[in-house]
Amino acid sequence: MVDGGAEKENCEMTPYEVFQLLVFPGLTLLFVLAFFYEWIDRKFFARLQNRYGPLYTGPFGLFQPVADFVKLLGKEDIVPLACDKLVFALTPIFYFALPLTALFVVPISESTGLIAFEGDLIFVMFIFTMLVVTVFLAGWSSASRFGIIGGVRAALEMLSYEIPLGLAMVGPAIAAGSLSISAIANWQSSHLVWSIFLQPIGFAVLIVGLLAELEFVPFDIPEADTEIVAGWRTEFSGRKLALFKVGRDLELVLASAIVAALYLGGAQALGPIPAIVSFLIKTVIVVLLLTFLRAVFARFRIDQMTAGMWKYLLPIAIFQIVLIQFGIGR
Amino acid sequence: MSVVREALRQISRRPATRQYPIEKAKVASGFRGRPLWDMKKCIGCLLCQNTCPSGAIEIVGKGLACEIKYFLDRCIFCAQCAEICPVKAIAMSEEFELAGFDRSKMLYWYKREPQPKP
Amino acid sequence: MKMGYASTIRVPFGPQHPALKEPENFIFEVDGDIVVGVTPRLGYVHRGAEKAFEIRTYVQNIYLAERVCGICSHAHTTCYVQAVEDILGAQVPPRAKYIRTIIAELERLHSHSLWVGIAAHEVGFDTLFMYTWRDREAIMSLLEEISGNRVHYAMNTIGGVRRDITSEGASKIRSTLDAFEKRTKEYAKIMQTERTFLKRAQGVGILKKQDAIDLGAVGPTLRGSGVKNDVRAGDPYAAYGEIPFEVISHEGCDVLCRTIVRCEEMLQSIDMVRFALDHIPTGDLRVKVPPAVSAGEAVSRVEAPRGELMHYAKSNGTTKVERYKIRSPTLANIPALCKTLIGSHIADIPLILAGIDPCFSCMDRMAFIDSKTNERWIWSMEELKRKTVK
Repeated sequence: MVDGGAEKENCEMTPYEVFQLLVFPGLTLLFVLAFFYEWIDRKFFARLQNRYGPLYTGPFGLFQPVADFVKLLGKEDIVPLACDKLVFALTPIFYFALPLTALFVVPISESTGLIAFEGDLIFVMFIFTMLVVTVFLAGWSSASRFGIIGGVRAALEMLSYEIPLGLAMVGPAIAAGSLSISAIANWQSSHLVWSIFLQPIGFAVLIVGLLAELEFVPFDIPEADTEIVAGWRTEFSGRKLALFKVGRDLELVLASAIVAALYLGGAQALGPIPAIVSFLIKTVIVVLLLTFLRAVFARFRIDQMTAGMWKYLLPIAIFQIVLIQFGIGR
Repeated sequence: MSVVREALRQISRRPATRQYPIEKAKVASGFRGRPLWDMKKCIGCLLCQNTCPSGAIEIVGKGLACEIKYFLDRCIFCAQCAEICPVKAIAMSEEFELAGFDRSKMLYWYKREPQPKP
Repeated sequence: MKMGYASTIRVPFGPQHPALKEPENFIFEVDGDIVVGVTPRLGYVHRGAEKAFEIRTYVQNIYLAERVCGICSHAHTTCYVQAVEDILGAQVPPRAKYIRTIIAELERLHSHSLWVGIAAHEVGFDTLFMYTWRDREAIMSLLEEISGNRVHYAMNTIGGVRRDITSEGASKIRSTLDAFEKRTKEYAKIMQTERTFLKRAQGVGILKKQDAIDLGAVGPTLRGSGVKNDVRAGDPYAAYGEIPFEVISHEGCDVLCRTIVRCEEMLQSIDMVRFALDHIPTGDLRVKVPPAVSAGEAVSRVEAPRGELMHYAKSNGTTKVERYKIRSPTLANIPALCKTLIGSHIADIPLILAGIDPCFSCMDRMAFIDSKTNERWIWSMEELKRKTVK
């Protein structure tokens, strides 16, 4: 674990740290988790609709997300003539790199993340915001009507859900007295209680806010495929689209990891069960919950969503914070 | 709320998808598949050729010695030929997996068996 | 204060768009999120069907009429054979009329069921889409057992029907309809109580009653605006004069009302099929008709699942028809559609488009009108071939 506070004589990393960064719980594990969670999402979504989901590629269709990714890498990358070429080429890379960066501060295989410092919760909130800025730039730079409308809708969505999302994430931080995700997770394990039982309203607000962040139905307005083709992703194809797909899966891993760390106790070893297994179980439950909510609702309209968020979700989130201030949920 | 109940109920049910082509569909009797000619009964009256809406039947020759060319890629499976044949020489089979890449393979040429010399 | 840029942008829908199942072009002028103008451009699916009718015999035209549309195929054949029988003066046996009615109502069932799925899909409610299309398979398999094919039934012929419904067929129909009725009631309840769907469909796509009448809307679009107009009741054909039913209409004038009208029509169709099966008379299935039709003309109207369908036939004593004209219900709904689209949000466009149940493939015809001289003409076969087929 790299200690960001202490000064080091030389900036060399030990081989173990390189292994941690690149393989476990670093990049390789995160990629595997991204594809695995996409498979869970698609399979469960299909089963709720009484159909099979991915079936033929690999056992039970496990390799379908990988197959889709590899297929997209091999397709032609069409760049519109009128687009802003630099931004058009950079946004997929940012969209894919930002969740990876945020995942380093979340505890995955140990009770603290690879990097932990006071305030890394704010860092993760910043990453969420930057993701939406990237989405907006992706839509804007593609110089297509559908892209522009999609990008503008994504920005408008962010203005609505960002404050409730932030408040829901800050609730456990107030209870734990620290702004570090790892410290919040450790507080829950040391006090033998999970924040979800102390602050269930905050959990609900966080789930709704994450549905909007991840652009799941009922909030998949920026990429509403029956209205604006593919929204901000319309003009991307080939490798760029592959990066967007992987970026979305990594965002799903990040969202479920954040929920697990803040409200479900994080990656804590329960007796003989190692921390990584407990992390997997908790995040899979969160993914199943998000997929279930995705299946049972219709899509909102952007003005209905904005109104609903400001009229209902924000007061509920504030109410939760007020409850915490009065000592309930500490 | 009824959607939530419905959705939860589906998890335990077997998916409704038929795993084609591993499981094949069983078609109903009376299904209008590819028509089959029985050349022993055919009298060469040309009625099927004249009535076919898409020109999928061509008759070569005349009368009891005629041969029938059936173009699968033009057929619309309406069974009008089967209905109008006066000797009921045409029957609609149950074949429906008829897609292919090569149009030249979609010509079925029904010839007569050579008659034994008296 | 003019800023030097246009205040509206143009968003094209189609000819290829995920919201449209068939290609047509609508160009929307959008100000922010509100539609302020719409320009439809039709004709992407023009296939020269009316000319194709003129080069085939009357019996061959039955199958051409069937293929004008895939999902209202039986309505088109019924309309065609009724027009020809009208010119001939042929009396169709009563049993054939009942069988035509049963198939027509079964077709209405699967067409409306498909529509419920499409409407759910347009608002992002894919789960309901999958459920309705799964349950619709029962009706398709039933039709395959009765007629030999899932989509183009080829049951009609000039003078009657080609196949009979046996008693086992009738009992199979009854048992399938019992199960289907339970599912349909469930889906009708979901469409009317699911809050997210209601938020999208209520108050959306308002078409006032007077506008609907003035612009010539037909079908559930018209009946969802409070006008009780149904060809089955107003001008009964086949066996509809003997089957009791009432015309369903609601006053809400929005997409939700059209949904409710269609769901209730589905339940009513199930009852009509049951009544027809109980009261079907015995007898012949068809009468013999001559191959050449004497000179005359006829108009026949049928209530297709999408609205009033009209065919006009003109014969001249030969075995081929002289002029044939088809007016599909979707074409009649396009002016009303354009009126409802103005003032809606972009996100409402797919649902309003789906709300008229568009079947663009049976809609495209070609006619020439000179707006200055009011002269109307059509192309002859040679002109059509010369100008379109290279």
